[in-house]
Amino acid sequence: MRRLILTLAFCAAAPAAATDLVVQVQGPGGAPVANAVVTLYPGGRPATLAGERMSFQIAQRDLQFQPFVIAVPVGADVSFPNFDNVRHHVYSFSPVRRFELRLFAREQSRSVHFDRVGIVPIGCNIHDGMIAYVDVVDTGFAAVTDRAGRAAFTGVAAGGLTARVWHPWLRAPGNQTEMRWTLPGSGRIAQTVSVALRPPPRTPTY
Amino acid sequence: MYSGTIRRRIAAAFAAATAAFAWSGPASAELPHLEMPANLTAVIDFRIVLTNGERSWADGGFGKSRFGGGGDDVDAHAVPATAEIVWHGPLAWNFGGTIAIAAQDDQDQPVDLIEGFVTWRPLPNGETRFSARAGMFWPPVSLEHEGQEWRVADMITPSAINSWIGEEVKVAGVEGSVSHPLAGGRVTGTLGLFGFNDTSGTLLAFRGWALHDQKTGAFSRQALPPLNAFMATVQPQWTTPTLEVDHRIGFYGRVAWQMAAPVMLEVVYYNNRGDPEAFTPMNQWGWDTRFWNVGARIDLGPHTRILAQALTGTTEMGYVENGGIWVDTRYRSAYLRLTQEVGRVALSGRADLFDTRQRGSALTAEDDEEGWALTGALDWRLSGQADLILEYMHLDSQRAARARIGLDADQAQNVVQAAMRLRL
Repeated sequence: MRRLILTLAFCAAAPAAATDLVVQVQGPGGAPVANAVVTLYPGGRPATLAGERMSFQIAQRDLQFQPFVIAVPVGADVSFPNFDNVRHHVYSFSPVRRFELRLFAREQSRSVHFDRVGIVPIGCNIHDGMIAYVDVVDTGFAAVTDRAGRAAFTGVAAGGLTARVWHPWLRAPGNQTEMRWTLPGSGRIAQTVSVALRPPPRTPTY
Repeated sequence: MYSGTIRRRIAAAFAAATAAFAWSGPASAELPHLEMPANLTAVIDFRIVLTNGERSWADGGFGKSRFGGGGDDVDAHAVPATAEIVWHGPLAWNFGGTIAIAAQDDQDQPVDLIEGFVTWRPLPNGETRFSARAGMFWPPVSLEHEGQEWRVADMITPSAINSWIGEEVKVAGVEGSVSHPLAGGRVTGTLGLFGFNDTSGTLLAFRGWALHDQKTGAFSRQALPPLNAFMATVQPQWTTPTLEVDHRIGFYGRVAWQMAAPVMLEVVYYNNRGDPEAFTPMNQWGWDTRFWNVGARIDLGPHTRILAQALTGTTEMGYVENGGIWVDTRYRSAYLRLTQEVGRVALSGRADLFDTRQRGSALTAEDDEEGWALTGALDWRLSGQADLILEYMHLDSQRAARARIGLDADQAQNVVQAAMRLRL
């Protein structure tokens, strides 16, 4: 359900000539790449963000952040509920949004407002293995790929389109790659993006 | 031949092991998750051991395994090898603590303190991370140990190098680390200042290298093999690894580089700055021990890794007489280990090489040694809480000093172990 909200909720109203687009992100050998953020810029410009306020969440459960990657529109609030029996010290030192949350055990939740575009890596100062990423975007078309490596969009304007794919371990400058496509005026089309990922960083043992 | 007592012990061991398996019920069922209080971890390691060869060092012999045989015959042991409780938790937002106590089958004290330290981790303000700890802990040398309870991953027995770290290189002091991204990876520098590790080197000089998973307790003694006639007058038949003798501060430094490629390299230098002429009323000496260690961990894939370490150092003890200090031991060891995970099973193989050379005036070539070991292990992860580990180790070493107890200098030993390791 949350995935649905992420994918669709901040899409702009469909223009007259529009296409449904599925972006398939895959690694070497065609293996699906989940947790990649796909953003679309019709005509090279950000799509209008929906005016309504949406809720986003990064939970702490079983000593992990869930989800691992989230895309939110600029100006969004993200809540950080703690569902573990232990406390978490959630922080980010990103210049995009620097914050620190002290979350005592069970059910406590606090929110962070993200008012600048960019990537915000998030960690827990008590548990090294906990890592998450917030991608704060300025376009109404943004989605995180699912386990099958797919991100689906509806009502994308026909014509020239700039698409960006970001993943925390993507082997490219800024962990991001950019494509330019031309979309037809109707129907449903699929685009495949092949990427190479770096191995995930190892958690230090001491 | 097994004695009736041993047979009964083995029967009891299998009964206990079966009871542990019985939790699983039908093959498809998950093992029940037993809850410990928050921040507490209990590790229980029950062992069945088949071994031949000489008497173990743990029983005052020259044997290099934790468990010894009775000569050429195969000997069997059913052993509750280790029961350990570890508390690890936050003390304040930037402070955490770790305390580990253990009962080990061959430990001098029934229950002993294994580690106890406070960790300080300020919130990062950028890409650079700082951390520090104070208390009693192992310097970061071993690539084979992991977790708060400092257990050997994937195998039962650590390498000769890390067996020695576990028994004689535990310090009480302070340690600071700083890490910073470098070339897509991360480089970490660590400096430690410590005391209470002045007898480090005693086991290496008098017994030589060994391969075992016993961890020294803060208040426990370790047995030494029979010493030569002179050394027996100045050193008792035991050593206390955690002891301050000379009131000098030792230090160690480490640089580790986790590269962008899945390769981690580390270099460690340790120097306890011991005063070799200092000794306690119980004749525990201030050994001057120093070593270099280099290590590498290479992840060939998500389920395949190579670990390798090499360590070389010296230790000195006593007075200068007859043209040399009593004990001047040079020691070296290296290992290469490969681990491959297949589903819930981890298969590991390791080769160890080791030697010591005696250059002192009182501990002489008779106590030189050289040897090697091959170890293979299968770690079957039954659940998140239970591992069944099977391990075979072959040890081969040469030390003329074995003649003191009527043994040939050359000794070989085979050790087969089955460990049921529960982590609650």
